[in-house]
Amino acid sequence: MNHSTTANGTNTGLEVSTHAVEAEIRDRADPQQVLADRVAQLYRQMPIAIAATFIAGLIATFELQGRWLKELVLIWWGLVVAYSVAASLLLYAYHRSADKVTTAPEWLRWLGIAALGNGASWGLAGGVFFRSLSDEQQVFLAFLFAGMASVGIPVYAASWPIFALYAAGILGPFFYVLLTFGNRLFVEIALLVPLFYVINVAIAYRLTHVFHSGYRLRHAYGKLAQDHRLLNQRLERQLVELKEARRQVEASGRKLALFAERAPIAVLELQPDGTVAEVNHAAEILFGYAAAELVGGPVKKLVLAEFHDEFEHIWQQLLSSRESIAGLKIRNPRRDGIELTCEWTVTPLVNFQKDVIAVIAQGRDVTAQLEAERMKKEFTSTLSHELRTPLTSIIGSLQLINSGVMGDVDKEVGELTMVAERNGQRLLDLINDILDIEKIESGKVTLAPEVMRVDELVRESLVLNKAFGERFKVSFQSQGDIPQRQVHADRKRLLQVMTNLLSNAAKFSPEGGIVEISTEDAGPNVRIAVHDRGSGIPEAFRSRIFGRFTQADSTATRQKGGSGLGLAICKRLVELMRGRIGFDDRPGGGTTFWFELPRRTA
Amino acid sequence: MPARPLNRICYVEDDEDIQRIVRMSLERVGKMTVAVVGDPTQAIAMITEFNPDLVMLDWMMPVMDGPTLFRQLKLRPETSALPVVFITARASQPDLDELKTLGAAGTISKPFSPKDLPDQLRAIWAALP
Repeated sequence: MNHSTTANGTNTGLEVSTHAVEAEIRDRADPQQVLADRVAQLYRQMPIAIAATFIAGLIATFELQGRWLKELVLIWWGLVVAYSVAASLLLYAYHRSADKVTTAPEWLRWLGIAALGNGASWGLAGGVFFRSLSDEQQVFLAFLFAGMASVGIPVYAASWPIFALYAAGILGPFFYVLLTFGNRLFVEIALLVPLFYVINVAIAYRLTHVFHSGYRLRHAYGKLAQDHRLLNQRLERQLVELKEARRQVEASGRKLALFAERAPIAVLELQPDGTVAEVNHAAEILFGYAAAELVGGPVKKLVLAEFHDEFEHIWQQLLSSRESIAGLKIRNPRRDGIELTCEWTVTPLVNFQKDVIAVIAQGRDVTAQLEAERMKKEFTSTLSHELRTPLTSIIGSLQLINSGVMGDVDKEVGELTMVAERNGQRLLDLINDILDIEKIESGKVTLAPEVMRVDELVRESLVLNKAFGERFKVSFQSQGDIPQRQVHADRKRLLQVMTNLLSNAAKFSPEGGIVEISTEDAGPNVRIAVHDRGSGIPEAFRSRIFGRFTQADSTATRQKGGSGLGLAICKRLVELMRGRIGFDDRPGGGTTFWFELPRRTA
Repeated sequence: MPARPLNRICYVEDDEDIQRIVRMSLERVGKMTVAVVGDPTQAIAMITEFNPDLVMLDWMMPVMDGPTLFRQLKLRPETSALPVVFITARASQPDLDELKTLGAAGTISKPFSPKDLPDQLRAIWAALP
C-alpha cells in the first residue's frame, strides 16, 4: 500500500513538473512570431478559397441563369469575379510584402474583410435567389452553401473569428430566408442552421487553438535550439579559455619548480604535520642529505634537539595564524654534525577553506654572516679600547706637563709637548669619529630625545666652542635675537652637530673672522644656520661633502686637522632626528651650513 | 653631600702608565691622597687597609674586571658603603645603566683629562647623599 502510494505520488509530481516545463517552454515563444505564422497559414489556404469560390460560383451561375433574371445572375457572377480578383490581389500583395511579421495584424484584418466579402457574396445568392427557385435548385443551393461553409473550416482554421465571419456571411441570410419561407420543413431546417453554425465555429475555435499552440511550440523549439547553439558556442569558447589557462598554470608551475630547483636558497615543502614533502637541490647541498633521506621524515631532523620545543611553538603559531614568518633564525644541524644558523622565511599555503595544506620554508645559511658581524663587533670594540688606552696615557701625560703642575719646562720643549698633545687629540678625535660613524651606520645608536629649547642649545654650543674659536682667532656670535623654539631631539647629539659645524666654520674662516649663528622658522621646521666668511666650497667637492673621509683637499686636512667624517656624522645624526642638513653659498663670500628639525608647538 | 672634603682615593688599574698619570693628576692637581692597586685580586685587602673616601675602578682588567670587583665590594659590609666610580674606555649604555642601578656613584670615560679629573671626582662626591 505504502509502496503504491509513493509510486503514485512520484508519478503525479513528475507529470506536474513535465507540464510545468512544457508551459515554460511554450512561454518562450514570441507572440508576434506566432501570430505571423498563423497569418501565413491563412494566406497559404487562400488559393483554395479563391478557386473554390470561383468554380462553385461558375457552376451556380450556369445553373441559375436560365431560371432567373439573367441580369441579376450576371451581376452576382460579377461580384464573385470581383471577389476572386480582389482576393488574388491581396494574396499577391501579401507575398510581395517584405515584413510579414510586424504587419501581421493588418494582413489578418484584410483577410477578415476578404473572408466576410466571400461569405457575404454567397449569402447574397441565398437571400436573393433561393425563394424563387424550384425544389431541386433549392436543394442544389442549400448543398452548395453547406459545402462552402464546411470548406471554410480548414481554410480559416488558423483564425476562428474569420471563419465565424465567413460562415455568418453565408448562413445568416440563408437562415433568414428559410425561417421566413412559410414552409414548416424549412423553418425546422432554419432552426438547425444556427446549431450547425455554432458547432462549426466551435470546431474552428478548437482548431485555432491547436494551430496556435503548435506554432508556439515551433517557435519555442526554435528559440531553444538557438539558445542551445549559443550555449554550445559559449561552452566551446570557455573550453578554449580553460585550456589556455591550464597551459599557463602548467607553465608557471614549471617556472616555479625551476626557480625552486635552481635557487641558491634551500626550499622545503612541508606538510602541516611537519613532514617533509619535497626539498630542492640547494637544500640537499646545504644540509648534506639526499632528498630521499629527508622526504617523508620529520623536519625536526633539521632542527637542533634543544630547540625542538621552541620550534614546536613557532610551528603551532604558524598553523593557527596562517601568516608567514620572515627572518626566523634557526640552528640547523648538518648531516655531518656541523651546526649551521639559517635564516628562514616560512609561508603557510591555505586553500579556499582556509585550511593549511602545506608550508613552504625558504632558508639561507647565515652562519658566516653572523660570524662576520661578530668579528666586526669585536674588532670595533678592540679598536676602541686598545687605541684609546695608550692615547689616554699619551694625552694625559702631555696635558699634565702643559698645564704646568709638574713645574716649568723649557720654552721650546713646551712648544713640542703642545704639538704632541694637539696631535694626540686629533688622533683621538679621529678614532672617536670612526667609532661613531660605525655605530650610527650599524644602527646601534640609540637617541635619547627630549623636548628642548633651541635658543638654549645655541647658547650652550657657543660657550662650549668659544675656546676652540679662540685657537683660530675666530669669534662666534648669534645673529639678532634667537627665537624661543622647541624641538624633540637628543641634546648631546645635537650639541655634537653644533660643535662640528662651529669648528668647521672656525677652521675655514680667516683670522679675526666672525662666525654668525642664526635661528629661524622654515615651514614646519626650525632652521639653525652657521654662516662663515671662508673661501667657499669648491664646485667639485659639493656633491660629496657629506660623504665619509672627505675634505676639500688634503692640504686643508693637514693645515686644519679633522677626520673628514664630521659632516657625514652630522648628516646621519640630523636625519636620525627626522631633520635635514645642507649648505648654501653666502652672498658676499663664505658658506652657510644649516640643519632643520621639526618644530614642536608648545 | 658628605660633610668632609674628598681626600683619600683608592684606584684599581692594571695599566702602569695610567696609574702614574692618575696619581700625578690627583696628587698634584687635586692635592689628594692616592693609593693605587695594580692587581684587582689584592684590591679588597688594600681598600680595607687604606680606608679611602672613594674607590676608582678600571672597567677592563685581567683576571678580574671592574664590575666583578665592584659586586664583591658591594657584598662585603666593610666596603659596601664606599662610593665607586668607574673609569672606562668602552661600556655600552645598558652596562652603565646596570652599574648605576647596582649603586655605582659615577663613570668617567677614557680618555679623561688629568687637568679636569680631580674636579670631575669632586663633582661626583658633591652629588652623593
